[in-house]
Amino acid sequence: MFHFILADLRRNWIGVAIVGLLIALATALGVGVTLQERALRLGSARAASAFDLVIGAAGSETQLILSSVFLQPAPLPLLPHDVLTALRRDPRVKEAIPVGFGDFVAGYPIIGTTGNAIEALGGLAEGSGFQHLGDAVIGAQVTRRIGDSFHPFHGLPGQPGEVHADIDYRVVGRMAPTGTPWDRAILVPLQAVWHVHEDHGHEDGAGETHEVSAGAADEDHGHDHAHEHDHESEFGAMEIDEALLDGENPGVPAIMIKPHSIADAYNLRQEYRRDATMAVFPGEVLTRLYGTLGDARRILSVIAIGAQVLVAAAILMVIAVQVLQRRRQIGALRAFGAPRASVLTMIWLEIFLILALGIICGFGIGYAIVAALSARLSQASGVTMPVEFHAADIWTVAAFLCAAALVTLLPVLIAYRQAPAQALRS
Amino acid sequence: MLTLSIEKLVVRFPDLPVPALDIDTLALEPGGRMAVVGSSGSGKTTFINIITGMERAASGEVAWNGESLSGMPEGRRDRWRSRNVGLVMQEFHLFPGLSAEANVLLPQRLAHFTLPEDLRERALHLLERVGIDRPGQPVETMSRGQMQRVAVARALVGKPGLIVADEPTASLDAEAGAAVADLLLELSSEAGSTLIVASHDERLIGRLQHVLRLENGRIAA
Repeated sequence: MFHFILADLRRNWIGVAIVGLLIALATALGVGVTLQERALRLGSARAASAFDLVIGAAGSETQLILSSVFLQPAPLPLLPHDVLTALRRDPRVKEAIPVGFGDFVAGYPIIGTTGNAIEALGGLAEGSGFQHLGDAVIGAQVTRRIGDSFHPFHGLPGQPGEVHADIDYRVVGRMAPTGTPWDRAILVPLQAVWHVHEDHGHEDGAGETHEVSAGAADEDHGHDHAHEHDHESEFGAMEIDEALLDGENPGVPAIMIKPHSIADAYNLRQEYRRDATMAVFPGEVLTRLYGTLGDARRILSVIAIGAQVLVAAAILMVIAVQVLQRRRQIGALRAFGAPRASVLTMIWLEIFLILALGIICGFGIGYAIVAALSARLSQASGVTMPVEFHAADIWTVAAFLCAAALVTLLPVLIAYRQAPAQALRS
Repeated sequence: MLTLSIEKLVVRFPDLPVPALDIDTLALEPGGRMAVVGSSGSGKTTFINIITGMERAASGEVAWNGESLSGMPEGRRDRWRSRNVGLVMQEFHLFPGLSAEANVLLPQRLAHFTLPEDLRERALHLLERVGIDRPGQPVETMSRGQMQRVAVARALVGKPGLIVADEPTASLDAEAGAAVADLLLELSSEAGSTLIVASHDERLIGRLQHVLRLENGRIAA
């Protein structure tokens, strides 16, 4: 029986390959949409899970989460400095990590924060933490080595800006991989970010740092670095002024909080939802984003299902024509004494083999495409996107195969009802 | 060896006013050889289909060794045919992509869960007997005469009591046709099988004991 199936498949290998490929691609389309959405959702949820609560100045909650959790640059309003002071002393708070956005270097965001952030994010893989104002700790994916130094680039990546040629950061440590956008971040002491940008503020006397996150995209200051040059030269060796965190500082756009308990988290959220500040659970905002994402997925799913139905219809036609063309063959085999059941089992098996192989290849192709896509997305965003099949997917495969088995049964049953003489005549 | 007996057989097709076949009585002794002749549309193919159980007679009786085909359901007729009939057709119905040997054994492979050991030997022996030197040769690379000889070997491999050939020489040139006719006669007499051949080939018809001449589905005088 397998002789015959193999001989037949070999003889029609071009048609078999095309039908198999069509099925594989149609399957891959559906699998791809499901897997990619799952990867995005899991990846972003894991990225957000490091911090339970984010506190920022009143404004857009979504923007606060995008900027603080996913490190997307945007001008955020600043919190008054007493908020950080209060949170650092609050007994309900285990860790309060201020996040100040500033400059970039080679597309990596430079994040001003405090030394405890490194431990809260998973610790160092090598090197040491901040000791001087000019010390930088890089994320796992940043392509710099310990000992390298760099000038921060003022402005957003990909836009015209200027280099702070007089500011020199030196890489002193590298963090362990976290699977979050922090892997692409360069951490520097918050005081350094204040220092770099406060100078501009003093010079211009504009004081706009209270409206815009430290240093984001304000073009009109910083054209007069020469005056300050002698002052900046010792920047790298300056002590970190810890007292400034609790004193008269320019403020920060966001503070990430690890509370001691869930009750504390809710308490804090309640307390900081006031006129000037907002407190957001990243999960809340993500759920809202998934809602939007879910709609997009539903649209993609409908498109994928539409494509699959069309392919299925086309394939059903091909199969029906195939079986009808083989009526003579079926009739002849039966005339020569092959039992009806075994002839039709053979033909059903042959078609089912093509379909099943196509479906299984489709799952493989879908997985490969999503894995490649997610790897590129991860590289761009730092968010690790887990591309994974779940146990429940076995049932999807089984359902697909059952459907294929039933669908191929249809033309075979038509052939089953035919007398051999009738089939030979046609 | 099978004895054929037909009583009051009438076969009608829905769109035809006249019966396609109307035979009051017919008998053929075991090991008998009969040619079925007549112009096309005279009922030859219907006759072949009825006596091999590929089509069912709605009325009348068709029996081999007293076993009535008319009363059997389709599955049983298939099994009966598998055990008792070897078929040779005008269009050889060999399966491209398979070797001569695989073609000879294909119906047996499908009929038996595992192929009986002696069948393979028998197939090779028969292929040698019909003059196929290379049993592993794919059938689509063979000449038409060779193909029909492979088909003859396939008809005989199951040692059937009845060999039925439907225009076995019609699609072959004279020489190849004569060779196939010789083989059919020789091999069926060696096996002692009953032989029924529908044909226009006068040289083949002349070598058979009985001639059944059909005209509009009836036996002509």
